[in-house]
Amino acid sequence: MKSRSTTFVRLTALAAAATLALTGCMSSGSSGNEGSDDDGAIQIGISLPLTGDFSEPGKGVQRGYEAWASYVNENGGLLGRDVELTILDDQSNADRVAADYEKLINQDGVDLVFGPFSTRLVVPAAQVAQDYGFLFVEPAGAAEEVFTQGFENLFYAAPAVADDHYNHLAEHLESLPDDQRPKTAAFAAMDDPFAMGTAYGLKDKLEAMGVEIVVDEVYPPNTTDFGSIAAKIADSKADIVVGGTQYQDAVNLIVALQQLNYQPEMAAFSTAPTNPEFPEAIGDKTEGILSPTGYTPDASYESNQEFVDYYTELNGNPPAEDEANAWTTGQVVAAAVEAVGCADPDPECQQQLIDWLRGNEVDTVVGPLTWDEAGRPQGAHLIQQYVDGAIRIVLPEEAAEADLILDKPAW
Amino acid sequence: MSLLLQSIVLGVLLGGLYALLAAGLTLYFGVMRVVMIAHSAFLILAAYLAWYFTTSTGLDPLLSLVVTVPLFFGIGVLMQRLLLSRLRPATLTMMSVLLTFSIALVIEGMLGFVFTGTQRRIRLDYGAASFEVFGANVAVVKLIAFALAAVSLLGLYVLLKKTQFGQALRATIQHPEAARLVGINTDRVAGYGFGLGLATAAIGGTALALDSTIYPSLHWHWIGPLMAIIVVGGLGSIPGAAIAALVLGLGQSLLQIPLGTTWAQTFFYAALFLTLMVRPQGFFGGRLAQRF
Repeated sequence: MKSRSTTFVRLTALAAAATLALTGCMSSGSSGNEGSDDDGAIQIGISLPLTGDFSEPGKGVQRGYEAWASYVNENGGLLGRDVELTILDDQSNADRVAADYEKLINQDGVDLVFGPFSTRLVVPAAQVAQDYGFLFVEPAGAAEEVFTQGFENLFYAAPAVADDHYNHLAEHLESLPDDQRPKTAAFAAMDDPFAMGTAYGLKDKLEAMGVEIVVDEVYPPNTTDFGSIAAKIADSKADIVVGGTQYQDAVNLIVALQQLNYQPEMAAFSTAPTNPEFPEAIGDKTEGILSPTGYTPDASYESNQEFVDYYTELNGNPPAEDEANAWTTGQVVAAAVEAVGCADPDPECQQQLIDWLRGNEVDTVVGPLTWDEAGRPQGAHLIQQYVDGAIRIVLPEEAAEADLILDKPAW
Repeated sequence: MSLLLQSIVLGVLLGGLYALLAAGLTLYFGVMRVVMIAHSAFLILAAYLAWYFTTSTGLDPLLSLVVTVPLFFGIGVLMQRLLLSRLRPATLTMMSVLLTFSIALVIEGMLGFVFTGTQRRIRLDYGAASFEVFGANVAVVKLIAFALAAVSLLGLYVLLKKTQFGQALRATIQHPEAARLVGINTDRVAGYGFGLGLATAAIGGTALALDSTIYPSLHWHWIGPLMAIIVVGGLGSIPGAAIAALVLGLGQSLLQIPLGTTWAQTFFYAALFLTLMVRPQGFFGGRLAQRF
């Protein structure tokens, strides 16, 4: 009995010591920051998938954030203070990303947070930010499920949610005379909220137009062989093929379709075709491939030219969509910070930033953005197509750089 | 009908690739009870070397085999002699999982560091080329991968069955002490056996790179199915691994038609569970590691 009570006392003492140590760490973390708050840099915490499945786009987002930070610092900072980024690697892991934001907010005592890449990481990250009352602007969580979790602090810094990516294409197809519209369509989508969202947004609209869906395949993200999926699509002889894809699956699927000599009238894939590595991987067989995109370096929005010039000088090549979305995130948060006049972890300041974004429009490199209650941006994506070997905007007509090729050349 | 035929063709070609990728794994286990988690990481390393070779020289990636096969053989021998042979025999199987797991992480990290996380693909003039047989399309790159698999596995089989080294290796597998008694240097033989397994990874990785987009973490997607193949085939049995790979590849390809991709992929794991329940020594191997 005695020994049991001794153990209990020891355990309690240990727990108490641990708690004290922990709170000590926490308070020292934040007080260290508070001390330097007035004249020190604004600390921005970010977790990104720098390794693992999403490392490719994750690094693009990192380049965009870093370019934005150095641009801001060269131009007088935010509220006259420099910005400093703390970027952690979540290894494309949803558990890691939540722990990362906990650490950034709790231990590192950052003043602001920016979102990670991909819907699967945005949702757990946004939950942590919400728990601490932080504003959460994110560059890459476009799937509908991001906006149905009841987040009150989230804003997606891009022109449109996943379901609306193909809207311009759907509208164009609907405007065609009956005999020019596709009769059948084949869909293949990665089992990923974003990738599926893009494809199924178009699928619903085509079905409403009376197009018959002859293939509807969903494959897990770790799929390595696309031969069988391609065989199903080729066998269906669908007029149009739509891929709800990320990068590697789109490339593998396109090559598999080519190997089966399937020649659709129209082929559209999310994400990959706008990636600079895409023509390198596919070679000269890209002609006519369509893709929705939220960004083009050629867009005439006011801040875009400056962004493209600055980024190109810094990195040696023009920015792609991931870099642009990251830069946009920076612009959105900066607009709120400048308007409200504060940038600290205090819930009152964070709430003011959130409230300001709810009620205002922000000019960005992807155009002016406003959001609904759930954080959905109120716009649509551009549709790009490979025309004469280069990717160009073809829809909507007022922004088009080239005419839409309706009958895709053989690939 | 044509979809069925096409799926059979795709399934057989895929099975051939699986067999090549899994051959090394079954060899390591057969030779020295080593569970080699890093095998698929070496596959991706070979794929990267093939890609790097082609992008920097403009030559066909298959030529990179001249360098990578001996290189991987050498790495395999060194790995066995310097690392794996130091593990205690009693806990070898378990510790080898931990050791090779860490090697896989090192390779992945190194690939990311040297080549970045950017997804790479070898662009070949014949990458999308195919020809038709009875209404089914046969992709040239898939056929090359299949041929590589057939030649390497046949070569491996002949080497193990017909040569003195093969005899020594089999003796080492069956009864190391008896082998030592008759004058076989079992340590050296085990090292060569491991090197041989890794040499198949060089060929397999190159075959993989012909028709796949590669990135550093890709190996995690492969190790599961490959482990399933060698367990179903019977650990240590090369023909077992080959037959299991063909059956599973074909099964996956055919199940795809009615069930879709997600369920077709679980076929591997269903087969794994079934094997462990009904015939833990594997369907095509006999007594563990007694045969090739």
